[in-house]
Amino acid sequence: MKSWIDRRSLSFLAFSACMGFALPSFASPSAAQEGEKKEEAKADDKKKEEKKDEWFAVLNGDVFTGTGAVLRGATVLSKNGVIEAVGHEVEVPTEAKTLDATGLRVYPGLVAINSAGLFGATGGDFADSVDPYNQRMTLALASGITTAGQSNVALKLKRRDIKGVVLRERYLATLSFTNSNPQGKREMFERFDRAARYLRDYRDWEEKKRDNKDLKEPAASGVDSTVRSILEGRVLARFNASNREDLLEIARLAQRFGFRPVIDGCIEGWTVADELGRAGAYAVITPRDRRDKEEQLVRDGGSSIENAAILHRSGVQVCVIPSTTGVDLGGIAGRDILHLPIEAGFAVRGGLTDQAALEAITIVPARLLGVSHRVGSLEKGKDCDLIVLDGDVMHYQSLVQFTVVEGKLVYDKSQELFYAHIRPRPSTQLAPEERKDKGEAEETPKEGSEAKPEEAPKEGDGEKPADPPKDPPKDG
Amino acid sequence: MTILTTLLALAPVLTGPVDPSGGLVAIKVGRAETVSHGPIDHAVILVDNGKIVEIGADLPVARGIPVIDRPEWVVMPGLVSCYTRLGVESRAGQEFNPEVSPTPELNPRHPDYKEVLEAGVTTLGLYPPGTGVPGHASALRPKGKTVADMVVDEDAYLKVYFRANSASKKLVRDAWTKVDEYDDKVKKAKEKWDKDNKSKGSDKKEGEAKPDDKKDDKKTFVPPEPDPKVKPFVQVRDGELGMLVSITQSADWAHWLDAIGERKFDYALRVVMTREIDMYEVTEEIGKRGLRMVMEPQITLVPGTMRQRNLAMEFAKAGAKIAFKPRNDTVQDHVAWRRHVGEIVGAGLEREAALRGLTLEPAGVLGLDKQLGSLDKGKTANLLFLSGDPLEPTTNVEAVMLDGEFVFGEVKE
Repeated sequence: MKSWIDRRSLSFLAFSACMGFALPSFASPSAAQEGEKKEEAKADDKKKEEKKDEWFAVLNGDVFTGTGAVLRGATVLSKNGVIEAVGHEVEVPTEAKTLDATGLRVYPGLVAINSAGLFGATGGDFADSVDPYNQRMTLALASGITTAGQSNVALKLKRRDIKGVVLRERYLATLSFTNSNPQGKREMFERFDRAARYLRDYRDWEEKKRDNKDLKEPAASGVDSTVRSILEGRVLARFNASNREDLLEIARLAQRFGFRPVIDGCIEGWTVADELGRAGAYAVITPRDRRDKEEQLVRDGGSSIENAAILHRSGVQVCVIPSTTGVDLGGIAGRDILHLPIEAGFAVRGGLTDQAALEAITIVPARLLGVSHRVGSLEKGKDCDLIVLDGDVMHYQSLVQFTVVEGKLVYDKSQELFYAHIRPRPSTQLAPEERKDKGEAEETPKEGSEAKPEEAPKEGDGEKPADPPKDPPKDG
Repeated sequence: MTILTTLLALAPVLTGPVDPSGGLVAIKVGRAETVSHGPIDHAVILVDNGKIVEIGADLPVARGIPVIDRPEWVVMPGLVSCYTRLGVESRAGQEFNPEVSPTPELNPRHPDYKEVLEAGVTTLGLYPPGTGVPGHASALRPKGKTVADMVVDEDAYLKVYFRANSASKKLVRDAWTKVDEYDDKVKKAKEKWDKDNKSKGSDKKEGEAKPDDKKDDKKTFVPPEPDPKVKPFVQVRDGELGMLVSITQSADWAHWLDAIGERKFDYALRVVMTREIDMYEVTEEIGKRGLRMVMEPQITLVPGTMRQRNLAMEFAKAGAKIAFKPRNDTVQDHVAWRRHVGEIVGAGLEREAALRGLTLEPAGVLGLDKQLGSLDKGKTANLLFLSGDPLEPTTNVEAVMLDGEFVFGEVKE
């Protein structure tokens, strides 16, 4: 101990000697700099004071975090649009805006991997042309979608806001690799082969150049940049394939070159689920897609309602998307983007677990769009995008009551022209003033008696002003 | 009392019958809609030399001043149509020509001008057609033998056609960047000028003005003339020129705010009232800024529904200033203009706001609200005489006065 102190004091002496020598020369500028820094710090503090933290909390809901856990009667707290806490004993700041979700379910905002028209009539330059007031965006929020892909860009449905709409661009690279085009298939294989060889040589060169600096870097000419970034894991390869043979070929290609393919369609995927699982594939499927088996072939084929369940069981990550990605009011109802959770419900019908089906419309599409670090589940540090429903998200009867995007309430069913009148929620279900037990409930006047039925108390803080009109008491 | 004396003082100068071509005249009417300070019953307006000299209720008129006494008439300021292409051919194209004026296209003999003047429109704002920044509008009086006769103000406002897309946003951002570049240029020139001046007058002490200094041309700093393409924006920035931004939907507004960023300058909005316009989404935002909005007197629908909305009323309530333009840019709709605005009043817009929307607010868009647009002392005598309430459909135009001169109607003493 003593020796340590000695050494320290020695070094201190040496240091101060040094300083004594050098100090006069630069004392004044350093002082000035410090002064400036202090001023800057003060200005920063002022800015911080001016910009107050925005808190938002969803209270008492059954929180389906999307990663597996379901927390009954829990709180989700958001700070400046980012989830600060999820749990039961969360301290909510007094200035926080709150939303009472008692008796309701809270899910992460849904993610649609493909969409059309939700961001207005844009020419692809979303940041400069998004229409955050357009009706389709409202309709999509009403069906629970808070993030959507369009033209290979991941976009946030920020209603009434044009800032921060674009989350990520070009994360998926669409490739063609099909038996119906043998020439193209061979070329694609060669591209992968060349890129793989180049990457191997490059790594080799990196290793060796430490010893031998004269070694030449391998030539990158002729190497497909898209394929290269796929093999480097910077983008995902996306294939459109539904035939068993095509799926097998893709699985082989992926396994041989070591990347994870995203397969759109994948109707016959259930027949080769093991191979796809081993290749680490993602499948983007529409459970209601139908296709006949080719009768001249002996092997399994055609569509199956169990497709999603079988693929999932084999380790394929399943993403669900409806057959029409726009808002479509014609044709057969219930097949457009507004029925994303219903489509996932059909996967459940075929045996997919509820949890996997929820992931198929939240975290899996978020991964495919390259934005799973921000959306797709309710976890601390992610964007506070959530939906509040009166039932299971995939049940046809459930309606989205509230949608929150980045800690802001952007959709409240009771306030929306197109939705307020559909099964208006009883005010008591949202914010019960006081709970009555069964014995007390019986004391309310019976129907037919002169007294009016007791109206729901209106003093509650959490109560919404827009109560649904109550039926007039029937005359006896 | 002071009024009386002024009138008396003026009296000796005047003799003879009513001179319809702009001499001193007193007009007694049943009611005057002043627009700026409410209606005046039994109003007397004294007009001289093209200007309103005095206005008030039951003012005594000195003997000798010709009096037009029409107790059944209602008078209001002449209508101002601030956004029109009447009488000129149209052209189009996405261009950036902020220096262009529409007056070279003007044909003073075009019959439309006479017709709208007889409908009570005494000021027109002729805008340059096209998208992007097609040029600046000119304020006209719809009567005159030559173009110079007609032009009231060559630079009324700069028109910007803005839509939510990257091309529009780039146009606006670039225009303002050029203003910044110009400012830098001015700053540098100023520094150089300062330096030159100092080196010249190094012996002289500053502040000591010697007589020979005054002869020096470089006594005061003259900033370099901006490029004609940049100048209008500099003028807008300095408040010398108005700006009218044409938009069609809430998204355009949101992107406009994004494009201009933190910059502060005055502008008005031209909102194209399409059948299903969603501008009600940003009522509060625009209202709290108190912007002028040029819009048609039109009831619109909530998109996808048959629910009607009176946006003029909603915006007026939120604090915006409504400047109406005729529904279509035709003579017929200029004639029916008052009636159309009356319909909007029937649907809830305040009467005062409606009358302002026909006169003072469009004059404000043209930057002429100090000169005309209301019945006030000192303003141009552009008067519209009506058989009854201005917003009633049965009301007819009885007479029109332009710059103190009766240009329509049978007027007798």
